[in-house]
Amino acid sequence: MSAAVLRTRRFGLGGTYYGVAVGLFVVLLVISAVCGPHLFTLDGAAGAIIVVVPLVLAAMALTPIALVGRGSVDLAIGPLIGFLNVTLVQVLIANDVTSPVAVIAWVIAVGVAYQLLQGAIIVFVRVAPIIVTLSGYLVLSGVNLVIMPKPSGSVPDWMSDWGSGTTVFTPVLLVLVIGLVAWLLFTRTAFYQHLRLTGADERMAYASGVQTNLVRLGAHAIGGFFAGLAALAYTGLISSGDPTQGSNYTLSAITALVLGGTSIGGGRGGIIGSAVGALDMYLITYVLSTFNFGIVSGFVTQLAFGTVLVVALLSNIFLTGGKATAR
Amino acid sequence: MLRGEIVVRDLHKSFGETKALDGCSFSASAGEVHAIVGENGSGKSTLAKILSGVLHPDSGEVSVLGVMPRSPIEARRLGIATIFQEILVADEASVAANLFVGADGLWARNARPGPRRRQTAEIMRRLTGVEIDPDAPVGQLPLSVKQWIVIGRAILANPKVLILDESSAALDLDATIRLHQEIRRLRDEGVCVIIVTHRIAELVRITDRATILRDGQTVATLPKAEITEKNLMALMTPQSRQRAARAAQIAPSSSERARVLHASALRLTAVAEPFDFTLGKGEIVGVTGLDGQGQDGFIKALAGIRPAASGLPVIDNGANGEASIGSLADADRLGIAYVSGDRKRDGIFPQLSIYENLALGLYRRNLAFGGWIRRVPIVGAFKAEVVRLSIKTGAASNKITSLSGGNQQKVLIGRAFAALPRVIVLNDPARGVDLGTKRELYEELRKFAAGGGSVVYLSSEIEEFIGFADRVDVFRDDRLSRSLAGAEIDEQPILAAMFGHAPTEVVFETGETVG
Repeated sequence: MSAAVLRTRRFGLGGTYYGVAVGLFVVLLVISAVCGPHLFTLDGAAGAIIVVVPLVLAAMALTPIALVGRGSVDLAIGPLIGFLNVTLVQVLIANDVTSPVAVIAWVIAVGVAYQLLQGAIIVFVRVAPIIVTLSGYLVLSGVNLVIMPKPSGSVPDWMSDWGSGTTVFTPVLLVLVIGLVAWLLFTRTAFYQHLRLTGADERMAYASGVQTNLVRLGAHAIGGFFAGLAALAYTGLISSGDPTQGSNYTLSAITALVLGGTSIGGGRGGIIGSAVGALDMYLITYVLSTFNFGIVSGFVTQLAFGTVLVVALLSNIFLTGGKATAR
Repeated sequence: MLRGEIVVRDLHKSFGETKALDGCSFSASAGEVHAIVGENGSGKSTLAKILSGVLHPDSGEVSVLGVMPRSPIEARRLGIATIFQEILVADEASVAANLFVGADGLWARNARPGPRRRQTAEIMRRLTGVEIDPDAPVGQLPLSVKQWIVIGRAILANPKVLILDESSAALDLDATIRLHQEIRRLRDEGVCVIIVTHRIAELVRITDRATILRDGQTVATLPKAEITEKNLMALMTPQSRQRAARAAQIAPSSSERARVLHASALRLTAVAEPFDFTLGKGEIVGVTGLDGQGQDGFIKALAGIRPAASGLPVIDNGANGEASIGSLADADRLGIAYVSGDRKRDGIFPQLSIYENLALGLYRRNLAFGGWIRRVPIVGAFKAEVVRLSIKTGAASNKITSLSGGNQQKVLIGRAFAALPRVIVLNDPARGVDLGTKRELYEELRKFAAGGGSVVYLSSEIEEFIGFADRVDVFRDDRLSRSLAGAEIDEQPILAAMFGHAPTEVVFETGETVG
């Protein structure tokens, strides 16, 4: 046989799916260094990590669900974080169940259980994912207010200093590290391959003997695991229960996901992109806060998110040779 | 008694009104290459899908290695690997991931990534003769390599039964020879290989036994010694089929007619050979070919849907000389109407009423000042078409989906007729339509032709042309390879032309001479 070589480009670690997000991250870091050097002090960095970790974990929670395809965007992620937060405070802690094991087991178990329910509706009732998750968003937003009408409650003692942000190496950072390591281990399983192939071409995966329904359920369960971690970090950040703030994570996390190069159409992307996308979002907010927009700063931030998202998508299309990432 | 690794007995499977399999039986054993042969629509792909657990039979017995597979997962566990007609690859995933899809348990890998990448490189080198990076995304690779990935996936599964459904379509001759080497190697290792194909020449070389299907029924199973092109053709062709009555008078030949539409040096793909095409006034031209030989692209180029790679069809435009057809707007303006047989995709608007489905082609022609639609002439045209085509409808405001397939097709043909076209182009319009409606359709088209209209009619069922078409153009390798007229419009000569044989090989059996 001749040793002719068919020339191809690779993707994955040497590839481009999160290239735009990383490039943006570097640019924003430089701007931050000029406009707000406080970020690079111990205090600034510590504070930033506390604030950014829940968003990073929320974006990571969306990733496996988006990867498995069918245009699955989990709109319910924000209210789910809120739900885990208020149930933790109102059900567990109010009844003096405060051991770390119980708290962590609660957020993860309830997160996974909720996502399994959502996944089961998508798989077995065959409703479009976006309708299911939209319903989840609305239902959970209401339920959160029923459980806890206004912000109240407290966290266990061991958690009370999580939100203070005096050092860089806080338990919140540990939660993120645990999440990243768990994902890294997960990518080495066959299940991860099945998840990606199901997202890339469900018919092919099915015809080749992949149990696509189980894979879709599993993707949701993994999303639920990360939602639990996100809720844990979020509870640490606010040190109390809050029925409404969690809902804000939905739009931010989806923006971070798309910014990170993960395709909502499935099969393409990964957790690194989502994490870097979330970091970008934080840095945009930070940079804008160093300018004094006063009362309109909230609008300016949203405007900036929207603009950056569109520009990032366009550059992704040009850089990857005409393939849109958010189909 | 049927015995072997695969036993199929009296299998039936229908899709709506269409009977894909209607009493099919055969058996195949280990260490054998067994071919399933038949014309387009004879049910051979349906059979392959049932054997691989994708489809379930309505009735009948299927046993593969002693079990009836109920899902692709179960089939895979049993040791069945199928290479489907469509090239199923995930463009976003790597070559290695595509090759080993389905090879693992739900959670645990059955092998480490390192050895798999080496195995990937090795098998792709063996199959394609080219070095391919195991980590390259499949989307970058050419179609032929994707086809090899699908084949490689099946081989790597170490199957006991390997099913190939038209799997050499994207391969050139050299590649086909390599595929045959693989098939022989697997057979010698005791694998039962099932080849579903209509490529007769290829099959004669490789197969040990062949089962011939016709209209979903098993006609015969031939041993190796009897597998010749002549035998296969004769068995694939229906003998007892009712011939439609021939037109009483001999139709004038193409050269005597006024030319309405013609195309010269048309190329359907950049590499295909160019060809010419002429359509006369009042002429009915049938277009056919085996699946994917370019006839579909040709008819779409005629209707302005998708231009050919080079060359444009030209239509006679009265006093204005001639005009070329490069777009749907051109076709519409110049009086070319198109009817698709794929009603769901290209034909009906399932959410709209019967009236709207027929009338919407007329809206643009009946606009008053300010874009108002003049309803009166449209309602008149609708009623006229319903009567003329004897469409069985309830209230005109009922949804189109309340009609049977045949009546839906009539509405679409009514839409085409209502636009008063000069040329009507039909793409397999009789698909899934009952016999009575078919006859009415031929009758209407003949009337249309008698009134000076021209018809181009694509079908994959040869008997549709007999007694109906004035000429049949057969496509092969993305070009018009033969034109048949007069007595040549018959099962055997058309089938021979579809398979690329000289007409003299078969025509004489019927005692007719070649005009």
